[in-house]
Amino acid sequence: MVKFIVRRSIGLLPLLLGVVVISFLLMRAAPGGPQAALSGIKSLTQEDRDAWVKQWCLQPVDASDPVYVQMGKMMIEFGGWLGVLNCNNTGAQAFVSDSGNLNVLPTFLGGGDNGIIHGDLGSSIKAGRPVTEVISERIPATLILTSTALVLWVGVAILLGTYAAVHRYSLFDQAVTFFAYVFYSLPTFWLGLMLIFFFGVALGLVPTGGIITTRDWPPFNTPQYWEAFGQDPLGAVSDIGRHLILPVATLVAVNIAADSRFVRASMLESLGQDYVRTAKAKGLPGRTVIGKHAFRNAMLPVVTNVALELPFLFSGAIVTETIFTWPGMGRLFIDSVGARDYFVLMGLLLVTSVFILLANLLADVLYAVIDPRIRYD
Amino acid sequence: MTAPAPATAADDPVASEALLDVRDLRTYFKVMDGVVRAVDGVSFSVAPGETLGIVGESGCGKSVTALSIMRLHDTPPTWTPTDANAERIPEDVRTLLGDAPPSRVMFEGRDLLALSEDEMRQVRGNDIAMIFQEPMTSLNPVFTVGEQITEAVMLHTKASKKDALDKAVDSLRAVGINNPERRVKQYPHEMSGGMRQRVMIAMALSCDPKLLIADEPTTALDVTIQAQILELIREIQDRTGAALMLITHDLGVVAETVHDVVVMYAGRVVETGTVDDVLLTPKHPYTEGLLTSIPSRGMRGQRLNVIKGTVPNPFNMPTGCNFAPRCPYVFGPCTDHDPRIEDADPADVACWQYTPAPGSAIPPRAHLRRSSEVSA
Amino acid sequence: MSSIPADDPGLTSPAPGSADYEVALQSLNQWQLAWRRFKRHRLALVGAIIFAGMLFLAIFGPIIWPYDPLALRRDLPGPQGFSPLEMPPMGSDGGGRAVWVLVANGARLSMIIGITTMLIAVTIGITVGGLAGFFGGRTDTILMRFVDLMLTIPFLFIILVAARFFGGGELIPLILIFGLLSWPGLARLVRALFLSLREQEFVQAARAVGVGSLRIAFRHILPNAVGPIIVSATLLVANAIILEAFVSYLNFGLKAQDISWGNALAKSQQTIAVGNWWWPFFPGMAIALTVIAINFIGDGLRDALDPRSKE
Repeated sequence: MVKFIVRRSIGLLPLLLGVVVISFLLMRAAPGGPQAALSGIKSLTQEDRDAWVKQWCLQPVDASDPVYVQMGKMMIEFGGWLGVLNCNNTGAQAFVSDSGNLNVLPTFLGGGDNGIIHGDLGSSIKAGRPVTEVISERIPATLILTSTALVLWVGVAILLGTYAAVHRYSLFDQAVTFFAYVFYSLPTFWLGLMLIFFFGVALGLVPTGGIITTRDWPPFNTPQYWEAFGQDPLGAVSDIGRHLILPVATLVAVNIAADSRFVRASMLESLGQDYVRTAKAKGLPGRTVIGKHAFRNAMLPVVTNVALELPFLFSGAIVTETIFTWPGMGRLFIDSVGARDYFVLMGLLLVTSVFILLANLLADVLYAVIDPRIRYD
Repeated sequence: MTAPAPATAADDPVASEALLDVRDLRTYFKVMDGVVRAVDGVSFSVAPGETLGIVGESGCGKSVTALSIMRLHDTPPTWTPTDANAERIPEDVRTLLGDAPPSRVMFEGRDLLALSEDEMRQVRGNDIAMIFQEPMTSLNPVFTVGEQITEAVMLHTKASKKDALDKAVDSLRAVGINNPERRVKQYPHEMSGGMRQRVMIAMALSCDPKLLIADEPTTALDVTIQAQILELIREIQDRTGAALMLITHDLGVVAETVHDVVVMYAGRVVETGTVDDVLLTPKHPYTEGLLTSIPSRGMRGQRLNVIKGTVPNPFNMPTGCNFAPRCPYVFGPCTDHDPRIEDADPADVACWQYTPAPGSAIPPRAHLRRSSEVSA
Repeated sequence: MSSIPADDPGLTSPAPGSADYEVALQSLNQWQLAWRRFKRHRLALVGAIIFAGMLFLAIFGPIIWPYDPLALRRDLPGPQGFSPLEMPPMGSDGGGRAVWVLVANGARLSMIIGITTMLIAVTIGITVGGLAGFFGGRTDTILMRFVDLMLTIPFLFIILVAARFFGGGELIPLILIFGLLSWPGLARLVRALFLSLREQEFVQAARAVGVGSLRIAFRHILPNAVGPIIVSATLLVANAIILEAFVSYLNFGLKAQDISWGNALAKSQQTIAVGNWWWPFFPGMAIALTVIAINFIGDGLRDALDPRSKE
């Protein structure tokens, strides 16, 4: 099993590399590039700008350069961003760090301290702080939202789908099917808006945005907040909980709709298999036949499906966080796109892609746990 | 042993000794395009320790018969008329049933069709065990072979997990699997087809059933493995004294494995008898057709004999005898009257050649009645 | 199968149950069967009607109810504009412009974006997926690695960035961006279809007769794969419409002077707090209805085109 995990992880490395390259290319290909963004920020002094250019190996952009020169410049910037190159030096010395070793090496071994290899994702042009800081303070909010949503989504979909499959054509099944169709077709953000209006404004039952009630609590994820949290953990959790209701509902509605049908279909297929007939012929009670024999096989495609849909959970988080002004990575993303905050964008792309790759790995492992045929692949 | 039973058990001394006594079994499927009469009045019985073969081509209802005995069909859309469900039978099914008597499946004196689901579950796997055609797909791929066998054992015998595992290992050994201790922890996909079928047999026998129903157990296997499995089934049947009901379309399999045979066509029994009688001197034209269609060495260079035509459309059965459109001996009464084996005299073939049809005098082959029933 | 006896005088109408009855049943080709099945699917028909209605709006909407962005009213009762009671049938936006006009005009661009995106994505997807699935081996590995990569990166991320940086608010760049980023899912599906169909016996039979590779791919395999592809294509239209709506809602999409359903929703969130629910509701409802209609049609198509479908 360990070998399986290791092998699968190694298989993901090319994907990781690809993601890194794509992130870089996308940002650089945008008109203007970091140079334009840098010059747009009045608060930076020329000294700061020069330091940045050096730090990131930013090359002067000149549209009249022949193609290969432009490509060469891009490669240099890529090298700087990765942390392979050290642009305090020039020429071949660029591969060498300030302390004299290969820049690529980890910092504690004498390598450089720039670039993503060394954990330096750059600085937010807008906030003036390291990207790692800016992103990591947004992670908890997004994590709260997406993990709650994930649990609800998968749990409810499995429950609904299994019950509908077992009681096929019953009123419950037909109702679930109908609602699944309707909800599956709704644009998520519109659903969010309608929910805000109906439950938030008209009925006033739930808060209409944010993660905490700003009157009662310090801003989320600040040291003051955690202090207040420690003094009243139940209150804090319930406050967050109330704010979670609408965003999570919005985030999962479409997914539950789609997946409950998928679970139902998978369960029906499993129930039609020969081994279910054998189980019945052995005299096993219905609960065991369905809950043990059919269910486990039915979950195989469901696991794959959930893994494939995980990226959409993150995309959905962007939508939801925007509408509900949730202080997470999705909101950060939108703000950064608007502000052309390149390093933040690249960092976000990397972080979420890594999350997704890990999630895929987890799905593979889960799959192998459920299906013994895969284990010795 | 295989003659259809009369209406009540009181009249029939033979039936009360039978292990399994199927009477007037009808199983109709109500589907979108109409009603399919999959099994249309089938009766036979199996005595303890006896072997019975049910023969017929695909679609004749032999598998459905077995599944109906085990009550493995869902109702609806499947309907088997019993006393209990008479009111719930849909209109169109009821029309086709007409005044047919309710079906009964007597097992050790109890009507299986009248049992509750819980009671039936105790019969399944325990008193009657069934093995299926496709060993590849009939075993659950995500559980070990041992888990699947011990599951049945623990359910029916209240054995502990350890005892059940021992029983599982013993069962595997009894079906000729080497190294059963190792095999018991393996998954189905790690075994060959023949071995999987052995596992199925082991699983079926693990609770010492009194009747084993085998539905085309060797059809999906190679010829050489077929022979091994059949021999295994025979040997086990000898050893444990269980009765065997073997369903197949392969006459060769029947010839080697069972003592009595029932021939089915289009949901009905058309001929019964011992294997020797039926296979050596077939009386029903269908049985005759089946036997002559088997190619033999002496036929080199000649055309193969076929039974012309195809199995009738289940939604549109012919009037009169079901086999008439294809029968080389078809004559007068065949297209007007439907021969039923229960009404037949002699009571082992459903054909107007042997039994006088209503309105006609002496059937053309009355002289071929079996010797024990020839009247003066 | 059926051997006609030598003394058969001629073909009379076969009796039911007779051997020749089966042959005489009318045989429909694949497409006629599919159409029959589609017609039986009531929801699909409802979907088709609704979609036709939206198409009507798309074509004739701006002509019959022209939109004038400058038609601001001065007699507004408040920041929430006119309610549907005051200005039937759908009330107004914050500036007094009728929401119905927004809906009728937005149909055109939304539908154009949906359909053309689908066309682009389908073309690329079939090509890439077909090549990968049909030739297998190296081609497959390389192409699929690329597809995997595209599927790993969060879709909305890339779309938003690309739309903001390269879109410029114009229709054609937006369509290109959407189309060029929506095809990987379809490619994967097509690849799977081709891979499995390639192993089927009818392909081996064609090869045995000497049919060349490309011809096999187009004339033999593709027609069999068409069913699931068509279904996916309909879903792509739906997704593209929703996607455009969100992108425009964030103001990364079409410029404000153009009207699409997404655009129409763009500024409506502010007025929710002051009680205007009709401005976001109706355009969004139009999107939802269109998408529901497309989903129904897709479901009907799936049942109709799948020869194994039981219902």
